[in-house]
Amino acid sequence: MLSYALRRVLSTLPVMAIVALFVFSLLYIAPGDPAVVIAGDQASPADVERIRANLGLDQPFLVQFGSWVWRLLHFDLGTSIFTNLPVAAMIAQRIEPTLSLMMVTLVLTILIAVPLGVIAAWKAGTWIDRVIMAFAVFGFSVPVFVVGYILAYVFALKFDLLPVQGYTPLAQGFWPWLQNLILPAVALGCVYIALIARITRAAMLEVLQQDYIRTARAKGLGQGGILFIHALKNAAVPIVTVVGIGIALLIGGAVVTESVFAIPGLGRLTIDAILRRDYPVIQGIVLLFSFVYVLVNLLIDITYTLVDPRIRY
Amino acid sequence: MDRRTVLKGLAGAGGLALTGFAAPAIAQGASARTLRFVPQANLANFDPIWGTQYVVRNAAAMVWDTLYGIDDKFVPQRQMVESEEVSSDGLTWTFKLRPGLKFHDGEPVLAKDVVASLTRWSARDPMGLMLKAIQNELTAVDDKTFKWVLKQPYPKMLFALGKGNAPCAFVMPERIAQTDPFKQMSEYVGSGPFKFAKGEWVPGAKAVFEKFADYVPRDEKPVWLAGGKKVLVDRVEWVIMPDPATAAAALQNGEVDWWENPITDLVPVLKGNKNIGVDIGDPLGNVGSFRMNHLHAPFNNVKARQAILMALSQEDYMRALVGDENALWKPLPGFFTPDTPLYTEAGGEILKGKRDFAGAKKLLEEAGYKGEPITCVVAQDQPITKAFGDVTADLLKKLGMTVDFVATDWGTVGARRAQKTPPSQGGWHMFHTWHAGADCINPAAYTALRANGDKAWFGWPTSEKVETEITNWFNAKSLDEEKTVAARINKAALEDVVFAPTGFFLGYTAWRKNVSGVTKGPIPLFWGVSKTA
Repeated sequence: MLSYALRRVLSTLPVMAIVALFVFSLLYIAPGDPAVVIAGDQASPADVERIRANLGLDQPFLVQFGSWVWRLLHFDLGTSIFTNLPVAAMIAQRIEPTLSLMMVTLVLTILIAVPLGVIAAWKAGTWIDRVIMAFAVFGFSVPVFVVGYILAYVFALKFDLLPVQGYTPLAQGFWPWLQNLILPAVALGCVYIALIARITRAAMLEVLQQDYIRTARAKGLGQGGILFIHALKNAAVPIVTVVGIGIALLIGGAVVTESVFAIPGLGRLTIDAILRRDYPVIQGIVLLFSFVYVLVNLLIDITYTLVDPRIRY
Repeated sequence: MDRRTVLKGLAGAGGLALTGFAAPAIAQGASARTLRFVPQANLANFDPIWGTQYVVRNAAAMVWDTLYGIDDKFVPQRQMVESEEVSSDGLTWTFKLRPGLKFHDGEPVLAKDVVASLTRWSARDPMGLMLKAIQNELTAVDDKTFKWVLKQPYPKMLFALGKGNAPCAFVMPERIAQTDPFKQMSEYVGSGPFKFAKGEWVPGAKAVFEKFADYVPRDEKPVWLAGGKKVLVDRVEWVIMPDPATAAAALQNGEVDWWENPITDLVPVLKGNKNIGVDIGDPLGNVGSFRMNHLHAPFNNVKARQAILMALSQEDYMRALVGDENALWKPLPGFFTPDTPLYTEAGGEILKGKRDFAGAKKLLEEAGYKGEPITCVVAQDQPITKAFGDVTADLLKKLGMTVDFVATDWGTVGARRAQKTPPSQGGWHMFHTWHAGADCINPAAYTALRANGDKAWFGWPTSEKVETEITNWFNAKSLDEEKTVAARINKAALEDVVFAPTGFFLGYTAWRKNVSGVTKGPIPLFWGVSKTA
């Protein structure tokens, strides 16, 4: 297992290299020019040109790429063109809100979606199943920002229970931290609750048809034990897979959610960097996200061995 | 249900909000001493000479002081300067700094700091460049006195040093001001009424400014950038909110105190909230622009450009932007900001009255236009340019022109408009932008009005008449003379169609009523603003 994990971690290196080259090339050919944004609307073309030269953006592709890779090999993600701050420091400033949002969303999603899926499978064909699946359709269909606005309207503006926006670091207390995350996590989690509930239902329906379930019932086991101990464990592999994919998708969803709820996370940093063409920041974030994606996949593979002893690497 | 409806619904709900806010992060006393402000844009960098975006200038005006400050009559008043003297031939200016000036690091402001700051500024600012071109020497005479010796008189000296247009002549410590003006500085030490809390700066999310206890304000009443800048709060926190609905909700909920520029759609909701005050923010507003490329057909022919003026309805452009809010726009048959001394409608008949499509089509024909695609590069992520772009597409089609509508983002427009290549090879025929009215009060900072060909702003217009009159304006010695020249500039710029003005528009600002002292101005002014719990 250890050697497998090590191999997988090492295999991320070529993936990261390809991602790095791809992202750098894409940004190089993409239209837009940070020097124009920096210089402002009143600047002359000559001013823009000089700023571009000072930033090294007038250098050939290979020179720029080589210099970036060289810094990367020294664990230096570079400096933001706009803020003049190290990219690593900017990411560090923003990572806590995004990780917090993803974590709360994930916990919320699993706590809601898995029981919903199990119940829907148990009550398949009944009105309970239909209500749960109708909710799933709703979750899939309504965009995150709409759910966000509705939640903010009800829980922040109408009933004044939670703040509209912002983020409080965990260091300032658990409740202040959590209260800023509840609405965005629910908004972001809606689509994943829908997705995981449906997958859980499908996987459970298949397992519930198995002979050993019938045997368990014949032996007089309680419904709860059958559903959550025997059936759910055997339906876990597809559920874990979807949860893993969900984590990767959360990164994308966080971009919108962080904008709607003014959370200073990596999603907003990404958008700001793209709109301004802050190349070093974009490259740093994409590399980080790629690494997280690969890591999540590795964790999922390892989790398989925990839920299904037949799987060994 | 579309996004805008949801936005309005959410914002409207604020009126029903119960009072108070769950678990504020800061205690009541501290809250009353902290002003939370939502600026127009993200403060992504903080070097006001290197980066000249309006938002940087606005933040910089809190941290760095200027030698002079413009008041609401556009007259430069002494700010850091105690006295000035100009020689009888107009060539030697001697300035003396007022006592008590101190940088945020505790060091006194010296003449050598001013000299280094003006040297850096004059490498980037259009007026500074003019001064540099006629400069004999700029030297510190002693710790409090500096001298600027010129080769020819420059009557607009004090305006140049006090203007609020970016880049402003901010004074920095010598060691910082020695930074290459085309490279970003990394230390933010000024002598203004606020200190920048660099450690709390999260670009894209928050910027914090603390009251500078050692700042000695002038005794005069504060008016715009002039007078005594008395700070009445301990901290100003800039909270960046990219989503207007969130900003509206946060303002209604008391999570922020002042929102610089609420979007027009949400203003009725804010006006309906008894805890919120709403008024025009910047009385100088903005001038909308339909910018044509003078290098390529058909707009390299003045008749084609005149055809656009002849058919363009400013009301259409303004209504697309501000809807039914009549208080927010004015027709602009000219280039200078309405209600300012140089405003003129000379030569503006072509933009007035019923639009003449037949005449415009005839002019297009005479210009040799034969249905070639017109590349309109339109930024969709800016509400102003998006609204203008839609009107333009319709206008050009009505004129029988073939529209190649390139819907893109502002970053791409910024890069593409610098391309001089033909539109079919990555260039362009037209784009939209807007200019702050403060930049259009006279030709000094009005880069977009220049018509010196290759050196002109994007579109590269050439008009000897316009350029001659702009030079005359710089040499004008009285306001009456300036007005006469401005009328000639306006007429010439409309005849040669330097660009097509799409109208004059204003924007609102909104604040909680427990905040007092919010005044109209070309930038948000934080001195004199106080807050109660």
